[in-house]
Amino acid sequence: MIRDITIGQYYAKESPIHRLDPRTKFIATFVYMISMFCFQRFLGFIPCTLFLVLVIVISKIPFSHIIKGLKPIAMILIFTMCIQVFFSTGTPIVKWGIFTITAEGIKRAIFMGMRLCLLVFGASMMTFTTTPNQLTDGIETLFRPLNKLHIPVHEIAMMMSIALRFIPILIEEMNKIMKAQMARGADFETGNFIKRAKSLVPILVPLFVSAFRRANELAMAMEARCYHGGDGRTKMKPLKYKKRDGIAFAVLFFYLVILIGTVKWVPMIGMI
Amino acid sequence: MSIILDHVSYQYQDAIQKGEYALKDINLKINDGEFICIIGHTGSGKSTLVQHLNGLEKATSGTIYYNGEDIDAADFNKTQLRGKVGLVFQYPEYQLFESTVIEDVKFGPKNLGLSPLEVDCRSYQALKDVGLSEDYLDVSPLALSGGQKRRVALAGVLAMEPEVLILDEPTAGLDPYGRDEILSLIKEMHEKRNCTVIMVSHSMEDVADYAERLLVMHQGQIMLDGTPREIFKHREELEMLGLAVPQITYVVDQLREKGIPIEGNPITVEEAKKAIWKAMKKG
Repeated sequence: MIRDITIGQYYAKESPIHRLDPRTKFIATFVYMISMFCFQRFLGFIPCTLFLVLVIVISKIPFSHIIKGLKPIAMILIFTMCIQVFFSTGTPIVKWGIFTITAEGIKRAIFMGMRLCLLVFGASMMTFTTTPNQLTDGIETLFRPLNKLHIPVHEIAMMMSIALRFIPILIEEMNKIMKAQMARGADFETGNFIKRAKSLVPILVPLFVSAFRRANELAMAMEARCYHGGDGRTKMKPLKYKKRDGIAFAVLFFYLVILIGTVKWVPMIGMI
Repeated sequence: MSIILDHVSYQYQDAIQKGEYALKDINLKINDGEFICIIGHTGSGKSTLVQHLNGLEKATSGTIYYNGEDIDAADFNKTQLRGKVGLVFQYPEYQLFESTVIEDVKFGPKNLGLSPLEVDCRSYQALKDVGLSEDYLDVSPLALSGGQKRRVALAGVLAMEPEVLILDEPTAGLDPYGRDEILSLIKEMHEKRNCTVIMVSHSMEDVADYAERLLVMHQGQIMLDGTPREIFKHREELEMLGLAVPQITYVVDQLREKGIPIEGNPITVEEAKKAIWKAMKKG
């Protein structure tokens, strides 16, 4: 069930992508996602997909695992595509009541679907190859300049990493509570919507109670180890750009050039 | 009337390729009215085993029979089974959720579809059995102390009036006084209601004091099965599995080495006291 959600979970492997500096990966992901909105032609997907496939191959993460990441967003994907199909203007192909399916609509739906998939894959490549701790570390370092504007960057990063750390714990806790209530005859599967929503109360209440208890204990433990926020805090492993990060940025730049090149200079063939 | 496990194996989804078993070929017959303790190292499969007995986990292979019926059969009513085989989890106080103690205890019997009167009767009786006075009925369970919370949680399962009561480390995290209370309560239930008790435990002392039958688990298999007295004779095997015999047995051995001729195999403090007394009188 919840265990099956692969999006956003670190996938341990030894690969050059895993070893990259988290900042590099963060910036590259950001750039990649923006690049996705730089073109309106199907042709643009060729360099996009090739780049992503290259990254996936280097990272040694199995394709099947990445595809699984689509599951939780499948509904959104279908919904967006449907909207595009039914509510686009253009030359109608099929007319049925108030619904009209247009050629442009289908084209746009496929375009949006592909874009959404690639966006999800791109973003999940970052989280697959970066541990949550590295990621928050990278984000913290990247956004440090915002400190000047009195934004508590370190605190926000710390909150993020704690939140991420708590997800697997709470999932495990939830499974345990669910089983315990099932042992008392609770039934989560049958009945109508309202009955099912009600049946969640015996899970949610203990889950919240234990989340607060854990938060309390964690705060206490942090204070016992003299945590007092970001001021004057040093790092055991300060982030450092290495040669491979340079290479990564070069590859990224190369990708952007090719993408813009193909979209701008390759002449239109049919609809592509 | 019994629970029979026939070649039951269980593998976690992600461990199938690795060929690791959480339970491996378990064959077991649990008779009516037995008091069974299960001991074993962390990760030996004790908790997984007990979760199979009321159908919370489904065996990868093998069959479990409750009173002769296959519990994984499509037409078998699992809710009724869970009423008959009551399972108290580790740290059960973390499952309390209602706003008052009595409402929380009622949750189980209500799920069994009993009449409101029957639900009330059983709930009040269960709370009385675990020794919580009526002052606590309308208190929030979160406002109670650790030991009291655990008793409320225990009452929540007892109110379903199970024929088999399973407890996964019921004394974990309690102080010695609370521990004795819970254990004597379980013993009392066993005698008064004549229900089968299966208890997972880490304490050899508790096991020696209460168990009629002892199962030793290791890496998903049952290594030893017998009365505590028989099993504690296999001291070396137990120590190899990272377990031990009751401390008093070690004390008796040391005394013997010192030349005090203690007879028999005492496994509880009470027995050892008598045996030592006898030996001292002779000497």
